Amino acid sequence: MNLEKVVFGFFVLLAATLNFGFFIGDIADPALHNVYELFAAVVVSLIATVLKFGDRTQIGAVHLATSLVADLQLIAAAIAWTYAAHISTEGLTPAAMAAVVSLSGGALFANVVSVVLLVVETVSYHRR
Amino acid sequence: MGNPLLSFWYRLFGQNDRPSGRLRRPIPMASAVQASATIFLILRRMRVPLVVLITIFAVSVLGLTLIPGRTPEGLPYRMSFFDAFYFMSYTASTIGFGELPYAFTDAQRLWVTATIYLTVIGWAYAIGSLLALVQDRGFRQALALQHFTRKVSRLREPFLLIVGYGRTGELLGRSFDALGRRFVVIDVESERIDALDLDAYHADVPGLVADARDPGHLGVAGLGNSHCEAVLALTNDDEANLAVTMTAALLRPDLPVIARTVSPVIAERMHAFGTPTVVNPFDRFGDHLRIALRAPATYQLITWLESGPGAELPPRGSPPADGRWVVCGYGRFGRELIEDLQAEGLDVTVVDPLADAADGTAEDPAVVCGHGFETAVLEQAGVAEAVGYVAGTDNDTSNLSLIASARRVNPSLFVAARQNRPSSGPLFAVMDVNALLVPTEVVAHEVFAQLSTPLLWRFLQEVPGRGDSWAAELVDSMTELYGRHLEALWKVRLDHVEAPALTGWLATGEARLGDLLRDPDVREERLHVVVLMILRDDECLLTPDDDVVLAPGDELLLTGRPAARRALETTMVVDAAREYVVTGRHVPASWIWARLLPAGERREG
Repeated sequence: MNLEKVVFGFFVLLAATLNFGFFIGDIADPALHNVYELFAAVVVSLIATVLKFGDRTQIGAVHLATSLVADLQLIAAAIAWTYAAHISTEGLTPAAMAAVVSLSGGALFANVVSVVLLVVETVSYHRR
Repeated sequence: MGNPLLSFWYRLFGQNDRPSGRLRRPIPMASAVQASATIFLILRRMRVPLVVLITIFAVSVLGLTLIPGRTPEGLPYRMSFFDAFYFMSYTASTIGFGELPYAFTDAQRLWVTATIYLTVIGWAYAIGSLLALVQDRGFRQALALQHFTRKVSRLREPFLLIVGYGRTGELLGRSFDALGRRFVVIDVESERIDALDLDAYHADVPGLVADARDPGHLGVAGLGNSHCEAVLALTNDDEANLAVTMTAALLRPDLPVIARTVSPVIAERMHAFGTPTVVNPFDRFGDHLRIALRAPATYQLITWLESGPGAELPPRGSPPADGRWVVCGYGRFGRELIEDLQAEGLDVTVVDPLADAADGTAEDPAVVCGHGFETAVLEQAGVAEAVGYVAGTDNDTSNLSLIASARRVNPSLFVAARQNRPSSGPLFAVMDVNALLVPTEVVAHEVFAQLSTPLLWRFLQEVPGRGDSWAAELVDSMTELYGRHLEALWKVRLDHVEAPALTGWLATGEARLGDLLRDPDVREERLHVVVLMILRDDECLLTPDDDVVLAPGDELLLTGRPAARRALETTMVVDAAREYVVTGRHVPASWIWARLLPAGERREG
């Protein structure tokens, strides 16, 4: 068992699960989407990105790319939330919430790709 | 060919046999992979500091949002993520705008106190790691290698690959730069590569600190580049030169290689790989000394031409033709020189402190054991009756004192000396040595003569066979033309590319050299050039006179001032100028005027 692989797998999966947890529920209802979960998703996603630094394999490069996409989407979602909650005069309207959640939905897709890559990597490792 | 320097160069020494297309063998570029590996390693090492920083930030922000605060009105209040992130950002980066949006409660202050220390540690750790990595030797080398690789691969002009940037490399670099040629340098010593930046070259010279024995480094330096013209192995390490020769011969058999060595054994081993040109400064000096003994004017001419444009005419020596020579120092240099002197039929006496131990010395030359400063040794060696004296040890101090003590005994000696370090140059200059060997300069001149223009090298090969009085005449006519400083030497080929205007005239079989060398402004005057040689079908005609009939495809080696060169080029390219030069008739140069003239006056080129 390689501890590095455990930590890596943990963060990749945690990023996906947190993202999923935030995303699930009626897209326009602020009550169903916890902002703490979004925060956790951003932080874990960033850590997962850093963990992917410096991997020279092809699959490592794709890992890094998907992670960067997830970061970008989640940070965009966080900014959209900040705008709605703090700057916009209308507050957290259903439309604003839908924007935040759909952005995080995009990140969820990237995270799913990450998880698939992780599984592919693991399976091909066992075959060798 | 947008670069005027480049097109100039092409016109000068343009060769049509440039290697083009795909190269036969893959050239290893291992070191480039190493470089990117280093950068990946750096990224990998940044993982922990970055994760620590992100975690500290996340924990601090989360804590701030969870701890209850109070508004000035006393209402309960919680910071949002936005406020918390904003607060942490300016606190962690030590900007500190104060407690926003409302004054903190004691619980919040307690937490903030903890986070301040945490974030300071996080930042210090991350920035410290980053700075340490930037300072990292391996990282810097990797960056330098990548920079170098990029520069070399972007070279779109012919360039020389110089391995070893010592004194020889520097001299050559300056000469080639003056000619507008590009080169790339590899050396193991970083100071020498740093010196590249300080030398004021016209062109940008990529330099790499690397061991050239690694084929990967040579590959990065452009061995695989199709614009690479030649490889020069000029390090002072014979083994490294051999390795470079070998690598170049195996990976790029089409490239000319010039290698320097002082050991005949290494030279043999180099010749086992392809056909490298091996320059042994000791051997060459011996050859030069032989020429100097037999034909002083020939020697003068050769050294002058080899020194490159701008060089002052060296004085013509008057070495003793016969008599006995005393050679101090029986090392590699002494051996080579004694062989040459004996081949000239001269008596040689050897002085060496290890004379008895040195094998082979006892055979024919008279041998004296000693340093050569001692009165007894000087007497025993017969310095007082000798005509020539060679101070050839590998130590400049002893060479200088050898000369001084020998001159005291016999002031009329012809003294040849070996200068090992460039810093001793002024001392040897004051000593006024008759023939001075500076190995680095011998190599530089030799390589320059071979690479600057191939015809010059051919010419120099022919010169010794032509006798002393011929050389003296040539030196006289050159000094008469432009004084005691050598002007440019250049080559022209009389074909339809370089001399389109001459094609028809050359085909008539009446094209005399004297007509070609008339001034296109005033044809009664002769251009101020000296034709050193005409090369026709691998046969050379040295210093041809004006009646020589030129043929298409002839190659001419000329020397003269730039103005004369431009004038000659005009004659070669412009039909009207050629017509005037050959026949004295003015014909229109422009198309319209040529149409307007009566048909009878037109002449088909």
